[in-house]
Amino acid sequence: MQPYGAMETHTGVNEATAGATPSDRWLADRVSRHGDEDAFRTLYGRYTPGLYRFALRVLGGNEFDAEDVVQQTWVNAVEGLDRFRWDASLRSWLFGIALNGCRGLFRRRDAGWLDLEQGPEVPAPRTSPHDRIDLEAALTRLPPGYRTVVVLHDVEGFTHEEIGERLGISPNTSKSQLSRGRRMLRLLLMPEEGHEVRV
Amino acid sequence: MMSQDTNTPLTDEEQAAFAALPRDADPGRLLEERTVKALRVGGLLGARRVRRTWSAAMVAAGVAASIAFFASGLAAGQWLATRTVATSIATASQENAMQVAAAVQRSGSAYVTALAALGQLSDTASAESIAQGREAALSALYAAVGELVLLAPDDPLSATIRELMDRRAGESAGANATTIRNVVWF
Repeated sequence: MQPYGAMETHTGVNEATAGATPSDRWLADRVSRHGDEDAFRTLYGRYTPGLYRFALRVLGGNEFDAEDVVQQTWVNAVEGLDRFRWDASLRSWLFGIALNGCRGLFRRRDAGWLDLEQGPEVPAPRTSPHDRIDLEAALTRLPPGYRTVVVLHDVEGFTHEEIGERLGISPNTSKSQLSRGRRMLRLLLMPEEGHEVRV
Repeated sequence: MMSQDTNTPLTDEEQAAFAALPRDADPGRLLEERTVKALRVGGLLGARRVRRTWSAAMVAAGVAASIAFFASGLAAGQWLATRTVATSIATASQENAMQVAAAVQRSGSAYVTALAALGQLSDTASAESIAQGREAALSALYAAVGELVLLAPDDPLSATIRELMDRRAGESAGANATTIRNVVWF
């Protein structure tokens, strides 16, 4: 159900009758002020597929955890809509909340979140020439900290400054993480002799 | 989307591989319904978002409850002060420093717990009752800082807090400033 899906306007006041796609801000305002379920479902449909894929990647492919993170992201977001200042896009804000959810899961499981000083072990190499994997699968085998930076930068397109801000690290650390993550990815994707690269 | 501001730049082939990764995935309809249900249960979605509104009777009941809580807390605090603290002081000369320190820790925990309880009452208690509780807490803190300054005259933190609280006491009515030192709360 996306009752506001056919409308398209960004003016605000009469968007529900303007015959246009309502802006995020208008929908968020409806949710925040009136608990408008239709408005929420419109926002949900707009951003959940991206959020879910993002959480799925960061969490290494665990669908159950990704669903929990997405649900909690929306609950936290709706609770905090009154405080959102719209300095950034709603998408960026939602991704930040989802990322925090993922980090919380890593911490609770002692997954070595961004343990830069120690430097995680390089994942074990493939055991057989037939065990070749694609890029998506290789991402799931990266240590969580490296995987997160690679996903944020190379998949979602965040800058090192943005990544640093979200993860509480410096942009230089983000660059270093990305570099190591990419090197690990190449190890995982390295073709066996006689096989072509499959990325 | 991908910049090359790293010492391990992506090849064209790798960039293409990243660009080809899907950005969306459908988690299924169940998650949407689960999320909506969670928001409804939390009062965040519905015909109208739940707002806190208080009737006069609820306010009166809240005020009465907060005053009763405050009075019982005060009585319990005084009783504990005469019992626990006096006992601790009386035995201080006989017990070792570790036991005295433990008594300080217990009293401090009780103080913080009582403050947290007062903070949780902020939704229902009257502003006047909360202000009374806050004033009592500050008085106890003032007395405690005074003792800390005596205990460690060279500690800059205690001295600074004491100075700030002295200044605050001077700025207020001033009538309570002379008696504030005598309050025993925990």
